[in-house]
Amino acid sequence: MRVLLIEDNADLGQAVREQIGDDGHAVDWVQTLAYAQLAIGSTPYDLLLLDLMLPDGRGIDFLRRLRSAADRTPVIILTAMDQLSDRIAGLNAGADDYLVKPFDLSELSARVAAVARRYSGNPNPRLQLGELSIDLTDRSIQREGEAIALTAREWALLEAFLQRPGALLSKSQLEERLYEFGAEIESNAVEVHVSHLRKKLGFNVVDTVRGMGYRLGRLEQP
Amino acid sequence: MKAAGSLQKQLVYGLTLGIVVLWVVATALSGLIVQNRLDDAFDDAMQGAAQRILPLAVMDILNREEPLTQQRVAPLNALPGQVAYLVRDREGTILLQSRDADLTVFGPPTMQGFSTTPTHRLYGASALRDTLFLQVAEPLSYRRKAARDATFALLLPLLVLVPASLLGVWLFVRFSLRSVRSYRRAVEARGVGDLSPIQTAPLPLEIRPSADAVNNLIDRLRRALETERRFTANSAHELRTPLAAALAQVQRLRHEAADGPVKDRAAQIEASLRELARLAEKLMQLAKAEGGSVLADVPQDLAMLLNHVVEDLQRVATVPIQLTLPPDGPVLSPIDADAFAILARNLIENALKHGAPGRPINVELTTDARLTVVNAGDVLDPAELAQLTERFVRGSGRAPGYGLGLAIVSTVATAARAELKLASPATDRADGFQASVQFPVAGM
Repeated sequence: MRVLLIEDNADLGQAVREQIGDDGHAVDWVQTLAYAQLAIGSTPYDLLLLDLMLPDGRGIDFLRRLRSAADRTPVIILTAMDQLSDRIAGLNAGADDYLVKPFDLSELSARVAAVARRYSGNPNPRLQLGELSIDLTDRSIQREGEAIALTAREWALLEAFLQRPGALLSKSQLEERLYEFGAEIESNAVEVHVSHLRKKLGFNVVDTVRGMGYRLGRLEQP
Repeated sequence: MKAAGSLQKQLVYGLTLGIVVLWVVATALSGLIVQNRLDDAFDDAMQGAAQRILPLAVMDILNREEPLTQQRVAPLNALPGQVAYLVRDREGTILLQSRDADLTVFGPPTMQGFSTTPTHRLYGASALRDTLFLQVAEPLSYRRKAARDATFALLLPLLVLVPASLLGVWLFVRFSLRSVRSYRRAVEARGVGDLSPIQTAPLPLEIRPSADAVNNLIDRLRRALETERRFTANSAHELRTPLAAALAQVQRLRHEAADGPVKDRAAQIEASLRELARLAEKLMQLAKAEGGSVLADVPQDLAMLLNHVVEDLQRVATVPIQLTLPPDGPVLSPIDADAFAILARNLIENALKHGAPGRPINVELTTDARLTVVNAGDVLDPAELAQLTERFVRGSGRAPGYGLGLAIVSTVATAARAELKLASPATDRADGFQASVQFPVAGM
């Protein structure tokens, strides 16, 4: 997923970016609402991680503006304001989830995954894909009881396909989901990851549409 | 200083006593005046009588064949009261006397005008160039009785007037002090954490400055408490972001470090940071609970709030939290949403911390705004149970944090006029611990 992290504390921002990045998501990190606005204008995001107290304004106002502009991007609020009324106000403003500082990074990962699942229209974290049993909560894949290990990038790629079953995803769309701004992207990075995925999960797991992009293979429904 | 009694009582007794004393003094003065007037009137009557008797007596004496013979005559009807008279010549020989005349009461025969003996009032007059002397005597007791009767007639209304004025004064004082009494009731009805200005009907001019001063004092107190609360809340709040950063960094460190002393140390730092975070949270909750801003202007739906709290805790709970909410509609109570959440959160966290491992926690909210949290576990002995409601007491040998959590619960409950009850074993069970809080219902 492509995630926009809006957090002005440098230490926290860095740690969160690393954590979400380790989960295989591409994270862009900005420290002000102005930069957040710029980023949203130029790239489609799958998730926003939004702090409420930012140097140039209140995150909740930003969120309200976003929702009134009919933007449906999932938003998780990360905030030091721990009162229930703050939380209710945040959720009413259109947030999907609310995490009070200080939080566990593993809990953040879990919530990010949960929100992503909800938005893909499949809240069930356990999927059956042909012979593959996929558990999105602990990121495990088994084929007939045998575990298959995926790298974070491979996971991110698989999730991109699982979130939009049947949709055609272009190479640049996949790159956007896999890499944040400023990341060094090899020209054939997507092809490499797709080929790794096929090697591990089976050739039919991803179809190539020549000249257009990729989509989830048809083998999935038993 | 001696304690002053009821102002109302003082005024009623003081005013009534004042009225009675004034009345008595007025009556006494009136009595004296009446007596004086009576004396004048009686004297006039005596003088009149003497002047009517004298010519008759002179004629009578001059017409006698044998003069200088004593003669008694019946008292004249025209004479007032018990007037007796005596007619004598210059030598003192009695020429004429009324039938009831007692000779001992009369003075020297030549005395003229008014005089008074211890028992009688006398009047003397002469005729025929001072050869005949008439004396009229009237007993003083007769006059005294008349004065007594008049005074008594003046005093008689007092018998009715004293109770009537007592009642009147009481009613009047009570009426005048009604705003003071309503002020007293408003003060008495105050909740512990209620620091809003005392509002009542307009107070009397004399008391208004004191009431204003009290309101000023309350206002200063409220602001001081608010500042203190805001300081605590802000510090706790400001602590959170650096804490979050430190915790996140140390978690990354743990994640990145190879197994060994560095990883262990990172784990230790993480544990300390968590403890610090927990303390910051409790400080913030205490600040909220003690700030007095625990009552809401608009009734809150406890069911909705409880649902949020339980949902939040379910993520971190190691045992199931079974939530029972009333099936029909919201449960409205005039308690601040955050205060309620703090209370509910602490009760459930307590249950999670001290409940028997693996056994579910039951959380129930009833339509009449009673929140009950039950966990399984050993039965607490009554002494320990009684201690738990005291502030900052921890159950002996139990996990830390019992006391602070329950102290916060108890503080919030008191300020919100809710009633906290702890029981072990739980109702209808052989074991466990039950905490129930009865919140005020909105509109009651």
